[in-house]
Amino acid sequence: MDLDTAAIALNNVTKRFSETGPAAVTELTLGVAESEIVAFVGPSGCGKTTTLRMINRLIEPTEGSIKVLGRDQDALPAHELRRSIGYVIQQIGLFPHHSIRRNIGAVPELLGWDRKRIDERCDELVELVSLDPSLLDRYPAELSGGQQQRVGVARALAADPPILLMDEPYSAVDPIVREHLQDELLTLQERVHKTIVIVTHDVDEAIRLADRVAIFNIGGIVEQYDRPAAILRAPANQFVASFLGRERGLRQLALLTVNDLTTIAGPTATLTTPVASARQLAAANRVSWVAIGEGQQLLGWVSLHEADARWPDGSGEQATVADLTLQDFVAVVRPDTPVREALDVIVTSSSQMAAVVDDDTFTGFITISQIAGGLD
Amino acid sequence: MSAIGDVWSFLTTGSNWTGSSGIWTRSMAHLWISLVATTLAAAVSLPAAIWLGHRRLAPVLSVGIANLGRAIPSFAVIALVLPISISLGFGLGFWPTCVALVALGIPPIFTNTYAGIVGTPADSTEAARAIGMTERQLLRRVEIPSALPFIMTGLRISTVQIIATATLGALVGYQCLGSFVIEGLAQPSRARDRLLTGALLVAAMAMFVDYLFNRAEARLIPWRRTVR
Repeated sequence: MDLDTAAIALNNVTKRFSETGPAAVTELTLGVAESEIVAFVGPSGCGKTTTLRMINRLIEPTEGSIKVLGRDQDALPAHELRRSIGYVIQQIGLFPHHSIRRNIGAVPELLGWDRKRIDERCDELVELVSLDPSLLDRYPAELSGGQQQRVGVARALAADPPILLMDEPYSAVDPIVREHLQDELLTLQERVHKTIVIVTHDVDEAIRLADRVAIFNIGGIVEQYDRPAAILRAPANQFVASFLGRERGLRQLALLTVNDLTTIAGPTATLTTPVASARQLAAANRVSWVAIGEGQQLLGWVSLHEADARWPDGSGEQATVADLTLQDFVAVVRPDTPVREALDVIVTSSSQMAAVVDDDTFTGFITISQIAGGLD
Repeated sequence: MSAIGDVWSFLTTGSNWTGSSGIWTRSMAHLWISLVATTLAAAVSLPAAIWLGHRRLAPVLSVGIANLGRAIPSFAVIALVLPISISLGFGLGFWPTCVALVALGIPPIFTNTYAGIVGTPADSTEAARAIGMTERQLLRRVEIPSALPFIMTGLRISTVQIIATATLGALVGYQCLGSFVIEGLAQPSRARDRLLTGALLVAAMAMFVDYLFNRAEARLIPWRRTVR
C-alpha cells in the first residue's frame, strides 16, 4: 500500500506504555486505502487495538507519525479529529441517559447542527442500519444487544465521517446475530464506501469482511498484510500459518464461489439415451445414476439400480432411460454459491456430485476433485 | 389523656398556630434554616465532588474528609461554633445551628456525587471521548447526567437529616419546631403535648420533603423508569 495515497497512513509508529517495558507497537508502517475494509487480526496483546486507538488519538504514539486523509493527525485538536472519524466499540458505549435519537445524533450535536437537520439525519440512519424508527424515542436499556449494536454503528456514521474505526464490534453479540450484522456491514459498505478499520480476534470475521487483512504478532508487528485469499493461499511464515489454523483450506473455500471452479460434464444423458449407454456413462463416472438433460435444462436423474431390478437378466437392451423413473436433482448449487457450502452439498448427498444451475441453465457438475483443484 | 389525644388537642387549638411562637412561624423558620443549610452544603460539596470525581482524584482522602462531618456530633459543632459566632457578631441561634447543619449535610451529597461521577460506565466515557467530546462536554453531557440519580439521593439524604437535626437549633435560642420540644421538656412530666407535637411536625416535614424528592427524581431521571 502506497503511503502517500493512503486514507490512513502509519509511518514508523511505535508505542511504549512505559519507558522500560516492551513496546506495544513496534515501528509499524501500514497504509489503509480509501474505501477499503481492513481488518487488524491477531492474538490478545498484539497491539491491534492500541494501533486502532492511535488513529483517532485516544492513544498518542510514542514515535512516528500518522496521517489521516493526507493530513497530519495532530494538525487538529484531538476532539475535532475524532468528530471526523466514526468509532464503534465492543461494549457499544451508548449513553444510557439519552434516548436512541440523541445517541445517534451525538456527533452532529457536537458539530452544532440544528435540531431539524439532526432529526432528519437520524431518520435516514435508522433506515440505513435497518432499525425500527419507533425505537428512536426509547432508551438504550430497552433495546436488545443486536439493536444496540446497530445504534452504535448509526452513531458512528451520523456525521458522515469518511473513516470508520471498529474495535471488536461484534464480540458482544451471539453468533447468529453476529453473522447477520456482518452481512449488514457489507451491504452498508456498498452504499457508503467508507474507509473502515476493524479490529478482531476472529480470523473468520476478518476474512469475511475485509478487503485486506493485517496479521499482528505480539509487540504490534505486522507479519503479513494482504488480501485474505492471498494470505490463506500463501501464509508469509509459521506464525501466520498457525494463527490461520488447521482449517486454512476450508477458510479459503469460504472466499471462493462455484464460479471459480471448472465444471465437468458428468454422467449426463438425454431422454433418448439407451440404458446400455447410460450404464457405460455411469461407470465412467463411477456412479450408479445418470442425469437427464434436455438442451440447457436439467430434468432430473434416473437410477441404474432401478434398471438392474427391472431387467435382472440383462434384457431390456431396447429400453431408453425414459423408461426409468425420473427423479428431481437435489444436490444443486448456483454459480455464486460459496465453495464451502457447495462442499457441504456434495458430501451430504448420495450423488457425490453437485449440479451447477444458473437460473434454469444447467452448466455441468462439480465434485470434490474440482474443489481441490480450485485451491491450487 | 392518650398521646394521640394530647397532640390532637394541641393541634386543634387555634392559638397554638398563630403568633411569634406559633406553629406557622416556627415551621417557616425551621424550613428556612434547613433550606439555607442544604443550599450551602450543596454549594460546597457538589462542585468539589464533581471535579474530584471527573479527575478520579484522591478517592479515599476525599471521601474520608467528607465523612468527618458525619462523625462529629452536630450538638458539639453547635457548642463549638457558638462562642465564635458571638464574638464575630453573628449572634446565637441561626448561624451556629446553620454551620452544624451544613457540616452534617456535606457528606451525603459529596460521597454520593463522587460515587456517581466515578461510577459512570467506562464504555460511556470512552465512547464520549472517541466521538470527540471535550472534557467539559464529557462532564456536562455524560458524567453529570449519569450521576444524577446519585446526586439526587445525596441531596435527599442531606435534606432529610438537616430537617431532623435543625431541631437542635432551639437549644441555642433559634425559634423553630425544636422550640416545642424544649418547652415540652420544661413542662410537668405528665404533659407531653408540646414535646410530641414538635417531634411529629419535624418528622412530617422531613417525610414530606422526602416525598417531593421522590417525585422530582421520577421526572428528572426518565431513563431509570424504563430499565428492564
